[in-house]
Amino acid sequence: MISTEQLYQVLEQRFGFTRFRPGQLEALKQLAAGHHTLAVLPTGAGKTLIYELYGAVTSQLVLIVSPLISLMADQVTTLNVQGEKRAAALTSLMTYAEKNWVLRHLGQYRFLFVSPEMLSQDQVLAAFQTAKVGLLVVDEAHCISTWGPDFRPEYLLLGQIRHQLNDPLTLMTTATATPQVRADVKQKLQLPQAVEIIQPVDRPNIFLDVESFQTRADKDDRLVELVAGLKKPGVIYFSSKKKANEMAALLNAKTASRVAAYHADLDPETRFKVQQQFMQNQLDVICATSAFGMGIDKDNVRFVIHYHLPSDVEAYWQEIGRAGRDGEQSVAILLYQPGDEQIARFLSEATVPQENEIHYYFQQDAPQVAGDVKANLIWFYKQHRYREEQVQASFAKRRQQRLSALQKMLSYVRTSGCKRQYIQRYFDQFPSGSKAPKHCCSIDEPGFNLSELGLLAAKSEPAGEQKELEATAWQSILLQLFNDAGQASGTT
Amino acid sequence: MDAMQLMTFLSPTAPRRLRVIENILVGKRTVSTLYWGMRYQQLSWLGYEKKLTREVMDQAVTELTAKGWVNLVQTNAQLTDQGGAARQKLMQNRYQPRCLNLRLVVDIETFWQRFLLATQVVSEQSYQNYHYYPLQVSWQVKQSVKRWFSRFHEADLSSQFYSFWQHFFRQLPDSQAAFMSRLLVGHQRPGETRLQVARDFGLSEAEAGVMATDLVCQLARAVSQTQLASVNSLLTGLKRSLISTSAQQTLTSFMAGDSLTVISRKRALKLSTVREHLLEAAIMLPKEQFDFQRVLPLKLVTEVQRRFVDTPLDEWQFKQVGDLSIEFWQFRLIEILRSKQTDDQH
Repeated sequence: MISTEQLYQVLEQRFGFTRFRPGQLEALKQLAAGHHTLAVLPTGAGKTLIYELYGAVTSQLVLIVSPLISLMADQVTTLNVQGEKRAAALTSLMTYAEKNWVLRHLGQYRFLFVSPEMLSQDQVLAAFQTAKVGLLVVDEAHCISTWGPDFRPEYLLLGQIRHQLNDPLTLMTTATATPQVRADVKQKLQLPQAVEIIQPVDRPNIFLDVESFQTRADKDDRLVELVAGLKKPGVIYFSSKKKANEMAALLNAKTASRVAAYHADLDPETRFKVQQQFMQNQLDVICATSAFGMGIDKDNVRFVIHYHLPSDVEAYWQEIGRAGRDGEQSVAILLYQPGDEQIARFLSEATVPQENEIHYYFQQDAPQVAGDVKANLIWFYKQHRYREEQVQASFAKRRQQRLSALQKMLSYVRTSGCKRQYIQRYFDQFPSGSKAPKHCCSIDEPGFNLSELGLLAAKSEPAGEQKELEATAWQSILLQLFNDAGQASGTT
Repeated sequence: MDAMQLMTFLSPTAPRRLRVIENILVGKRTVSTLYWGMRYQQLSWLGYEKKLTREVMDQAVTELTAKGWVNLVQTNAQLTDQGGAARQKLMQNRYQPRCLNLRLVVDIETFWQRFLLATQVVSEQSYQNYHYYPLQVSWQVKQSVKRWFSRFHEADLSSQFYSFWQHFFRQLPDSQAAFMSRLLVGHQRPGETRLQVARDFGLSEAEAGVMATDLVCQLARAVSQTQLASVNSLLTGLKRSLISTSAQQTLTSFMAGDSLTVISRKRALKLSTVREHLLEAAIMLPKEQFDFQRVLPLKLVTEVQRRFVDTPLDEWQFKQVGDLSIEFWQFRLIEILRSKQTDDQH
């Protein structure tokens, strides 16, 4: 049995902290007592520390199911940087031989990250069956509920896979989950008895603002004005990669801020550079798609702006959660133009196959063509012996759910009541006795100004000279890169 | 690819097939694409932009047509007089690749990933920093750099890399050295993206792309020539064959003396495939490395060349030699030979 003292000891020795953040110790105690646990902790609350510490204390293999390759790579790198070398990610980017090597040497690892698709491969599953998994972690567990049916259906197999792994102790983590999503996650993982550790989703230091515009031009002008005026750094979310690129170029041209786009189409080198520039305060603003965020840990983000309407409240809350992790006043601004919901609706529906598509793909015998997402999806269900009527019914329900989720997002925009209370009600959390923050939202404080919130940039901030900071001659860059090499090469 | 990039591939004196230009950039190795790619002296661009779409290509064409710089007949494009003048002006100011051919024999993308990561690792080592975020690269690249570092970490890598980069940058024009140095990643230097540097240099994304690729080719050449084992070994295993593996096998049998029928039987390939392999080899390799005489009787070559003595190569028609005992693939081989004897730069 692991004692609380032991947990504190490792926390200090290994992570250099003397205190746990809310929710961490509770979750660890439950795990130590052998209870499956669903931890719903707000973004930035330190969910990864829970399983990292558990792995360190118990010296057992921790297997983490994670949704994104880039996220896994980030997590492995973070562990490496902390000095934990026994971490790896099994991904589709590895060759067959490399994957085999890792699978044959599972004993040498403490933390292994896999995607649900990878874990459902027979060979991978077989390897993990023989190695004893001390803790199975389902990271971003809401994906089971929000992604399962119409996108990456392998998430639906996780419950069955858990059994095949001999029912290891399981930790599910997420930042946002309504009671329905929590119930759905537990049901799909076949862990109805799992203990729930829930921290309030509210982020009182983030002021909530929604602004409406009649035309696109007005919205663009306002965005430029905001970026020019607001205290940096900040993140602007877009639904399209093209728009993110365009606006990054526009903001670079029209403001003194250093702005870059970040989305899935960038090559890994560019992604690394943009991410690191942002982390090292060499970029002020990122124009991102939802690809940016998971795994980004920057404390002092002062604003998150949404240029497009997100498809549901969970996604919105997750994304604005990047702001103000340091506890300082920050702001989330949603720019809305009537009709934006059509884009969100289109994007939301585009992933769910329509009735005739389902019928068409069900008639096909041959396996999928590479890259045809919908064909792959239907093929998955066919392979797992679902009948067409079942699939039709499940997708009809799914379309309805997506629409209703979007409707709720739209209601957030339109509500004439307090935005914060709307969110709390959405997540079924009611402020129990806690007072609303001094600065809450644009409804409660209609005449708010950003200056009062302390969110306006000082006049002298991002000036042209900062933009030119990088324009250095190659000689100086080399001297900066290779410490003392200038002198050393002269002496050798 | 943008309109200006497309301009550089077009000519005022002869029409160019847009589909060939596109297929070369995408990297399709069909004999017809390779043949015309050779004629347009565009082979060094083979597979340069694998993700190029028809839409982007069409946009570039539309832009040039709207300016009156291009005449379009079906999918053949030729520069107008105005377009020719614009091209000439463009070529004076635009970055001219010097070493792009190297792409065909070295895996440049992997080389750059390795070299950039190695530079970062050495930079951090020189500051004795062992806790940093390394560039995100493929597992293979990561493993090869790890192996490399464990072999050389005791050498004076910092000085060696410093001198190597210094030597390399010195022989480049200053602006090009500046461009490339700003892409480098190291201690407290996340490096700049290509787009950021392009913006500062007033270059289009497409032109910056060409410049970066060509500079990496020049870098690879310099790395292959240096005596420094720590630098040189980063090229290990990155050689590429000029022709596809299958074509290479066919060529080996052919050069060893096997007849086409024997090769076809041994390799279980159709005779037409064997011929295509040989044509690919004849196009891609220097002419000394392909035995033209084995499949082209001297008398036949002389007769064909005599008939077309006054005809520019691109206007040769197979039907004009229909009375001779010659097959189309042999006719094409004679064209290839002629191209290489006269204006090919291989």
